[in-house]
Amino acid sequence: MDLIIEYQGQLLSGTWVTIKLALLSLVIAVLFGLLGAWAKLSKNILAQKIGAAYTAIVRGVPDLVLILLVFFGGQELANSIGTLTGLWDYAEISQFAAGVGTIGVVFGGYMTETFRGAILAIPKGQIEAGVACGMSRLVIFRRVIWPQMVVYALPGFSNNWLVQIKSTALVSVIGLQDVVYNGFVAGRSTRELFTFMFAVLMIYLVLTAISDVGLRWLDKRYSKGIVRSEDG
Amino acid sequence: MSEASAEHAALEVVDLHKSFGDVEVIRGVSMSAHKGDVISILGASGSGKSTFLRCINLLEIPNAGDVFVAGEKIRMHTSKSGRYEPEDIHQVERLRARLGMVFQSFNLWSHMTVIENVIEAPVHVLKIPKAEAIEQAEVLLNKVGILERKDYYPAQLSGGQMQRVAIARGLAMNPEVMLFDEPTSALDPELVGEVLKVMRDLAEEGRTMLVVTHEMGFARDVSSEVVFLHEGRVEEQGEPQQMFQNPNSDRFRKFLSRTMQ
Repeated sequence: MDLIIEYQGQLLSGTWVTIKLALLSLVIAVLFGLLGAWAKLSKNILAQKIGAAYTAIVRGVPDLVLILLVFFGGQELANSIGTLTGLWDYAEISQFAAGVGTIGVVFGGYMTETFRGAILAIPKGQIEAGVACGMSRLVIFRRVIWPQMVVYALPGFSNNWLVQIKSTALVSVIGLQDVVYNGFVAGRSTRELFTFMFAVLMIYLVLTAISDVGLRWLDKRYSKGIVRSEDG
Repeated sequence: MSEASAEHAALEVVDLHKSFGDVEVIRGVSMSAHKGDVISILGASGSGKSTFLRCINLLEIPNAGDVFVAGEKIRMHTSKSGRYEPEDIHQVERLRARLGMVFQSFNLWSHMTVIENVIEAPVHVLKIPKAEAIEQAEVLLNKVGILERKDYYPAQLSGGQMQRVAIARGLAMNPEVMLFDEPTSALDPELVGEVLKVMRDLAEEGRTMLVVTHEMGFARDVSSEVVFLHEGRVEEQGEPQQMFQNPNSDRFRKFLSRTMQ
């Protein structure tokens, strides 16, 4: 316990990195998820194909491979673009940006499927009723689709989000000092790996427990009037 | 009939055609509704009557033909890919707001209460202040006899109640014409009466209505005109008394004898 207190600075700063990483990548995942769902449900065949390719690739490749690819591959790409154009000598890809971007885009693939299913669960007639009243597509999305989609998407969303928080641990392989990286370093230097990994485990459990409270609040707020049946 | 309506029909449809793939469902139907007209559109299933109604507010895009709402033509053009489509979606949205629609399956928004359903489009499409919209909505809900349920969610209502709310929702836009797409077909028999009564009241008030229906009693007693569609064409149309007592076409006679049994 003394050791944990001695290293609490590192653990806390690592936890903070993990939280930032998770939240920022969540924003990206939701944006990509909405775009992806829109593309897959679009009447435009090109958009459909791009959406299908996107989810097939990001869901079909290990996250770790993509993170390494983006970080190291992106580094090389940035350098060769610099050399080619003569605009810069050496560019460094930030580990944080690579981590947030990759995890966000990968989980955007899962969110795409979740959102797509949620939109399809809304009775089509309700969208038609909006059209018939003269609503624009934006108003229909904001007033009819979104509030119901949130309810239908919540179970899948919660699942994705928990997996996503845990996936942030992968960024430690590219040297980003998240809670796993810092805990591991502290554990090795004190030769108390078990103690530190146990501390890290508890930190993750606290984070996921807090998420659970937030998700319950969302469910309560949005599930008004929605009866989970074929009625409506 | 007012002077304005003498000039323009509330709704005019000219030579409408609609195909689904190779099947031509509507083969040149024209119709005009003046202020206060109640037109019942009859026909066997597959005659295209619902499709015709859905083409009027462009829930289905017709393949040819014109629709005029209070004299304003919905501008259509042929796209580069050869599809007949609206030229300006904003115009379509504006004109749709002037046509109330009541669906067979009610289509109330399930996450909104009764009153929220009714004020939704006035507030978010017509941009009427919320307080004013609520006041109006309460009058309409009272008229359709469901004011005491204004804070219920649709799932807590019976089919007849939901349909009456849907009618109030359509009326809240103060439309030129109300379009009814088989409004009683999804109802249990004992609930049909309460919806028909509301529609009868609207007709008496002078609402302009187009009603696709199987309710022969309504068509005969309430409407000012009956149109019988057969295979996407107008087979017979006229005054209800005359048509029901003395049909000209064999097909309508047969249809009547089948449905009046």
